[in-house]
Amino acid sequence: MADLKDKLELIGMSLSFFVPELVLIVGIILLIGIGLRKKQYPPLLTFLSLLLFSFSFLCYVFTWRIYVTPQKIFNGFLRSDDFSAFLKMLFDVAGILTVLMTWRKQKEQRYLPEYYALLFAIVLGAHLLVMSMNLIMVFISLELISISAYVLTGFSFSKKGAEGSMKYFLFGSVASAVMLYGFSMLYGLTGTLDFSSAEFIDHLLGKNSTLFFIAALMALAGFLYKIAAAPLHLWAPDVYEAAPMPIVAFFSVVPKLAGIGVLTKFILAINIFGQSAFDWQFIISLVSILSLTVGNFSALLQKNPKRLMAYSSIAQSGFLLAGVAAFLPQGVHFMLFYATVYMFVNFLVFVYLQYFESYGFSSLESFSGAGRTHVWPSILILIGFVSLTGLPPTAGFTAKFFVFSSLWEAYHLSGKNILLWLLIFGLLNTVVSLFYYLRIPYYTFIKEAESGTKTNFLAFENLLGFVLVLLVFVLFFYPGLLMGWINKINFVL
Amino acid sequence: MQEILLSLLLFTPLLAALVSLFFPATAIQLFRYTTLVANIAQAFFLILLLGSYQNSAGLQFVEHQPWITMDLGSWGTLKAEYFIGIDGLSMPLVVLSVFIMLIATISSWTILKNVKGYFILLLILNTAIIGSFVALDFLLFYLFFEFMLLPMFFLIALWGGPRKEYASIKFFLYTLLGSILILIVMIGLNLSVHDPSISGQLVHSFNIIHMSSPINFISFSILDPHNAWQIGLYNARQWAFLLLFFGFAIKLPMVPFHTWLPDAHVEAPTPISVILAALLLKVGGYGLARIAFPIFPDATIYFGGFIGVMGVISIIYGGLNALSSKDLKRLIAYSSISHMGFVLLGFASLTAEGVVGSIYQMFSHGIISAMLFLLAGVLYDRTNNRMIANYSGLYSKMPWYAVMIIVAFFASMGLPGFSGFIAEIMVFLGAFKSNSVQGPLHESIAITATLGLVLAAAYYLWTLQRMFFGPFNLKGDITSDQMFDLNKREFIMLIPLAAAALFFGIYPQPMIAIIDPFAKHFAEFVIGAGKSLTLNP
Repeated sequence: MADLKDKLELIGMSLSFFVPELVLIVGIILLIGIGLRKKQYPPLLTFLSLLLFSFSFLCYVFTWRIYVTPQKIFNGFLRSDDFSAFLKMLFDVAGILTVLMTWRKQKEQRYLPEYYALLFAIVLGAHLLVMSMNLIMVFISLELISISAYVLTGFSFSKKGAEGSMKYFLFGSVASAVMLYGFSMLYGLTGTLDFSSAEFIDHLLGKNSTLFFIAALMALAGFLYKIAAAPLHLWAPDVYEAAPMPIVAFFSVVPKLAGIGVLTKFILAINIFGQSAFDWQFIISLVSILSLTVGNFSALLQKNPKRLMAYSSIAQSGFLLAGVAAFLPQGVHFMLFYATVYMFVNFLVFVYLQYFESYGFSSLESFSGAGRTHVWPSILILIGFVSLTGLPPTAGFTAKFFVFSSLWEAYHLSGKNILLWLLIFGLLNTVVSLFYYLRIPYYTFIKEAESGTKTNFLAFENLLGFVLVLLVFVLFFYPGLLMGWINKINFVL
Repeated sequence: MQEILLSLLLFTPLLAALVSLFFPATAIQLFRYTTLVANIAQAFFLILLLGSYQNSAGLQFVEHQPWITMDLGSWGTLKAEYFIGIDGLSMPLVVLSVFIMLIATISSWTILKNVKGYFILLLILNTAIIGSFVALDFLLFYLFFEFMLLPMFFLIALWGGPRKEYASIKFFLYTLLGSILILIVMIGLNLSVHDPSISGQLVHSFNIIHMSSPINFISFSILDPHNAWQIGLYNARQWAFLLLFFGFAIKLPMVPFHTWLPDAHVEAPTPISVILAALLLKVGGYGLARIAFPIFPDATIYFGGFIGVMGVISIIYGGLNALSSKDLKRLIAYSSISHMGFVLLGFASLTAEGVVGSIYQMFSHGIISAMLFLLAGVLYDRTNNRMIANYSGLYSKMPWYAVMIIVAFFASMGLPGFSGFIAEIMVFLGAFKSNSVQGPLHESIAITATLGLVLAAAYYLWTLQRMFFGPFNLKGDITSDQMFDLNKREFIMLIPLAAAALFFGIYPQPMIAIIDPFAKHFAEFVIGAGKSLTLNP
């Protein structure tokens, strides 16, 4: 009886760290419930989703204190700490932005309640994933993200959508299976599923067996698949092309950052403070170099803006991984800064891609002359692309600058040549990326076309875009605003 | 007012750009005059600045404001400042910028397409150029440096000639590659240099003045002069110097990284060509003298001979290309490359004369190349054709134009009496003297460089003969009623430039007095610090 009482107390304690997730769960149930009714009011659904995401976000803002000290909850399946709390806030903001993007299309979007419910499910999965300390929990939350994502991909209800969704599903299932196989071998090697525990680390310490290497590599494959890093990126372009625009924007941020979050924890666990028999830093750097190069060079050939952004997101994964590859606490901080900037900028670009799509600009060529008729959207999307390239005076520059400085420092500390190569590839790829990031602005401003009528400046997108652009500039001129906060985050394994 | 004079000079155009944003796009005259007023205001501030500038006082009009201060935990603090000032290196270039931007604005009256966008970009470009000449914080410098790219890209790509797209993208990619090379070194320097004015804690500084002093490097950091890392062939400092050197050499441009320049020039509209040749190229030379050489004096001495040779190659290769050019603007573009080779040669000599010569050459080339490109533009405005072979005997039809071209060609050739002569003679003095004062250049390099003068005479005189003398004749689909002499606006632009080229050729003293203290200190410092670092590492 006392045992049960203890358990209940533990659950009660755990729940106090779990309020935002509960809000999301309530959201899923509410939305599905509303979906059962015959007649729905799209604005109401949108407003409800907005409210719940904002509530979850505000939970973190107002009760930030309780997340500062790491706390194991639910029998050590999850851990609440400020690293994960920061990422969770990003997911909620991404949720808010996605809902705002959907707002313009809420009348056209079929099955809107389910659409929002799946969005909530992915955000919930992402929340759980970055908190997971247990391999089973990692798998479950990853599947929660994946399965909801497979379905959402098809939400444009077109032939393309079905194809993309199916491809995503087939690739994704294989990746999950491989990852699970890796997990099972890790369990066999260590006898524990908690990858932060001393037991897990002790068993892997100095273990020089191929089995360990293969097991960890397989487990990594699952994460790398989720963040669309090369060579596991093949699904991304098809999925991005098929899915509705807000969902693409959402995919390029939430599952990616969630994957990066858990990957950071996992890789540092199997690296065992450099005591591992295998050089994981080398592996991550290699993946990063590969993602950068493959993503950037493939993007050069694209004719469809969504596919272009898909390859861009692959390359950006490379930059995020470069932050992790430094294997320094500062590197993780800079990765978080990069992630935040990336989220804002990516949404900025996608808001306008959606805007242009609604005017019938669906291939790169069709953007010709848009700079005349859509002056402000063209300028704001240009700023977005400049920031993705990483030129001053935008936050993209600051973020890249930070990631590169952590690589410099890591190279200086460890003297590993691969880090120098990563630095060189990263910098050269910035030049390559400029070439395709400027293609849309190139068509909008430089190519001539028969001019249409000018559009109204007072569009909702311009308000949203303006706010995002402001953030992009503010984070360049005052990076301390965000960095000061991130620096207080104490990354613990 | 005195304290913020330099900021006023710097930000007036940006303010004008902001104001212009709110004018309706149809008010074409308004944009022209706003820009002109901004330029004149800048000239006014510049006169005030010159009035209280003291030649021997080193850095002055310094403004120091905190910008980014960020605590990075175990890494210490990262600090970037709004730190600007002006000295004997930047003063001539700022004078040149204000002057050339004014001329470019007058020349922009011919732009009729999308006037609003054009002038706003021109104003932003103005701030970026002057900003990179006065910034003394590396991050701030880099901000302005990169910020030149986008306006320039659009100015070429939107208002340029038939192959504008190819040219603008080539320009952008080359210069971005250059700035990425600079970025790597900037990060490394920031990690290796600390701010000595704050004791007790580790403050990573971007301050170029701090970086230029070897004692401010953190011990055992990657660019520490006393403990530099060996990476492959060279040590980390030598690599960093090479990266900076190539980064700025692309901008300069130095052969073999020059191929973007002729394309960009040929396609750019006239005022943009003027700015490109007169100001943007100078940022490359300025960056070498402000950043690359003083921060890495040991590597400068190590690579000095190499830089001198590259300078000579640029002089001769540029000259040969100019000789074979069929397009008048391309000819002038190649002659620019040739002239910028002298800048490299002068700096590499590491003598006071050579450095004065280099800075003087940057100033003088700014004036002369602006004039040359304006003159090429005059012809293009009339006929849309710049092929040298299509014209002959223009002297009889357009006498004033021919007179102006003769003045500009002779000035560019380095004929005594023009500013180019003073600059080149100084560079040669430095290059010959270098070996005797333990500088890095051998006399043979200087002797080879004189070939450049012969080449310049050859291509200019040959062009004069082909285009302006002999019987009047036009080929292609040019009709003779398209050919008329200079109008009033063109005179307004060309006369001051011609006068300046003459004035600074006959009476160089005022400008040399400004440059000299800097050059002397620069040469002594680089040789002194470089030798001591090489001898006792």
